[in-house]
Amino acid sequence: MSNDESARRFELLVMPHLDAAYNLARWLTHNDQDAQDVVQEALMRAMRYMGGFHGESARAWLLQIVRHSCFSWLKENRPAQRTFLDDTDDSVHEVAAPASDEPPFVAMRKADRLQINGAMAALPVIYREVLVLRELEDLSYNDIARIVDIPVGTVMSRLARARGLMREALMPSARPALRTVPRSTYGGEQS
Amino acid sequence: MKPKIETRQINAFVDAELDLASQLEIEERMRLDVGLRAQVEGLRQLRETIREGADYHAAPAALRRRMTTLIAPKPAESTRLPGVASAVQRWLGWRPMVASFALAAVMAVTLNLAGLRPSQDDRLLDDVVASHVRSTLGQHLVDVASSDHHTVKPWLSSKLDFSPPVSELQIPGSVFLGGRVDYLNGRPVAALVYRQDQHIVNSFVWPSAGKDSKAEFSEERGFQTAHWTHGGMNHWVISDVNPEEFRAVVRAVQLADHDGQAAGVR
Repeated sequence: MSNDESARRFELLVMPHLDAAYNLARWLTHNDQDAQDVVQEALMRAMRYMGGFHGESARAWLLQIVRHSCFSWLKENRPAQRTFLDDTDDSVHEVAAPASDEPPFVAMRKADRLQINGAMAALPVIYREVLVLRELEDLSYNDIARIVDIPVGTVMSRLARARGLMREALMPSARPALRTVPRSTYGGEQS
Repeated sequence: MKPKIETRQINAFVDAELDLASQLEIEERMRLDVGLRAQVEGLRQLRETIREGADYHAAPAALRRRMTTLIAPKPAESTRLPGVASAVQRWLGWRPMVASFALAAVMAVTLNLAGLRPSQDDRLLDDVVASHVRSTLGQHLVDVASSDHHTVKPWLSSKLDFSPPVSELQIPGSVFLGGRVDYLNGRPVAALVYRQDQHIVNSFVWPSAGKDSKAEFSEERGFQTAHWTHGGMNHWVISDVNPEEFRAVVRAVQLADHDGQAAGVR
């Protein structure tokens, strides 16, 4: 009977967030079949950990598990991407450090989805995940910090950098300006 | 001149994630600082561009259906395994080899049925077909293998909150294979399994509050199905035998059910 009960609870708490789970996995794995496998595994894991869930945000709780499954999957299947996972030094900071004296992003009213999706898919995974969680799931910094298991300050830094990279990709003309920015001043990955 | 505001703070400002004091401070500075204002505006537009332009990948119907099936409690499994989770783990364990076919078949069925079928009856029909397909793929046909209804009926009754009518079918070529507990329509149900020549017949039974109704036949992806209500029980029968033979099977199930009631076996 307890199976019955936990299945009901699962259905009530977890199933409503299946879209969010799949969306994150799809963006992190880059393809449908792998995303489905990862989500399935994550949900099975969630089922087992049901007891550890105590009424916080079910979505954040589930996404934390999904994210963990995604990274295990990446580690196994996309070892090349792993290099980004451990990037906390400033080697990554050279890519883009948007500062306030740069030309601002001009809305691309006609920006085609292909370009936007492509730019986002090309982001290193640690920036892609915060951007997906923020812009597509509209989660708070606190929730993102919990899901990704980093301090809120790091969420801020990664999000700023993610957007800087997006801007660079969508506005190629801004590129030269970025090179002149002293990287020690802005966009550092601090917590 | 005041120190420049960090980019990450401007981002947090745009996201309304700063504490009130910092939020107000930036607003104040924006009034004087054209560059800052432009940057905030640029970030807002970038945000909009991403939110509107990036794909949101909703879960595919096949995945949703698979998950619903997987998390459904299977009381029968729990007698052999510690729980649903481990049943599922086992499922995941042999999935790569054996079940890729099963999965493909179930998904093919569910995908095709998933189309535009909102009603509960249709969903039930989908579940019946999926359950039948699963059972015939050889993984889990019966929990209790016996051709003797005196063995099968008590076993099922002990696993369910009702006592299903159980009997052999009095038609040529029919073999009673046994029963299992399955999950349909949001509840555990009895599944009686017969073999009609080379074809598997699944007969699902569970209590109903509805009135008696005549059998409704339909064909779904090459499977014959029939369902009716009788004596406070829902019946769903499904098989891949040909339509005439299927009608004979259904009649036999109904006769057995009636006989059982008349003889007070239930």
